[in-house]
Amino acid sequence: MTVGSQVKTCYASIKNIEASLQILENKAQHAEAQKAYKEAKEIMKDIKGDLGKQVIYLTQEEPQYK
Amino acid sequence: MPDWIVVILKSLTLIVVLFTFTKLLGTKHISQMNIFEYISGVVLGGIVAIHTFDPQANIFHAILALFIWFIIPFGVEKITLKSKAFRNFTEGKSTVFIQDGKIMEDNLKKEGYSTDDLLEKLRERDIFLASDVEFAVLEPNGSVNVLPKRENRPLTAKDLGIPLAPQKEPQTIIMDGKVMNESLSNLNLNLKWLETELEKLNVSIENVFLGQADTDGQLYVDLFDDSLAVPSPTEKPLLLATMKKCQADLELFSLSTDNQASKQMYEHNSKKLQEAIDKIEAYLT
Repeated sequence: MTVGSQVKTCYASIKNIEASLQILENKAQHAEAQKAYKEAKEIMKDIKGDLGKQVIYLTQEEPQYK
Repeated sequence: MPDWIVVILKSLTLIVVLFTFTKLLGTKHISQMNIFEYISGVVLGGIVAIHTFDPQANIFHAILALFIWFIIPFGVEKITLKSKAFRNFTEGKSTVFIQDGKIMEDNLKKEGYSTDDLLEKLRERDIFLASDVEFAVLEPNGSVNVLPKRENRPLTAKDLGIPLAPQKEPQTIIMDGKVMNESLSNLNLNLKWLETELEKLNVSIENVFLGQADTDGQLYVDLFDDSLAVPSPTEKPLLLATMKKCQADLELFSLSTDNQASKQMYEHNSKKLQEAIDKIEAYLT
């Protein structure tokens, strides 16, 4: 696996985590739990943004593996 | 009218009256009753017992007596709810037996408790050493409640400073293969969700004997067919594992790259992800 595809895999996992957190937030009954899930989800969103840029950057670096 | 018909009619009437009165008197357990409530209960039963099989006895006398024995305890109960002074009079006050770890001998004597009685009550609470007790009180209903010293109390998560996720009561959403719509909506979930979850477990709703969902909407089921194995919910443990894996991946990327900007970005995000994990780990385990 190239670095590009590794980072892409990680990027996909991060997206998965964000979605799972969203589901849990919607299902949670307790306001406190809801808040914790929401905060974690926001963090995942930030990471997703950064990693998304990195994925684009890496595809430009390794166009042969695109 | 023959006597036996009178007995049947009287019995039925008295049963109805007794049932109504006892319902109105509330659902206190016998052990929570004070002596007056207990005796008036017995008297109510006694009146019914005497009149039910005696065709000569006047049923109106019976109902009158029942009413009086009902209305006075009922009234007393209502007033005790309102007035603290009256409550002290009817139900009695609690007496402190042990305060600050010291036994109050005078109070023991006043309540007619010997040292043996006190020790016996403490032993009922699994306390064999009187010096382990910080505070003990004799309640009006005759039980002794004990607060052990701090170091002798059971260890709780609070003592250890372990953060725990708050939890509400689980809801039973399937009983005998039938969906309980009310408890489903208590969890803000709908039938569609239930169908999806059951499909994930690969079972049909008719085969579910009991289905319960916890606060986070995780479904636990018991099937009619006990030979089938049902997987326990993996959603949350899986999520936590994925988060940990991603965090490790990011750390790995940051170590393996030579590009300074990327390195910093990976490091920064790996730290952020760790933060997120710390935040919700208590909820996911």
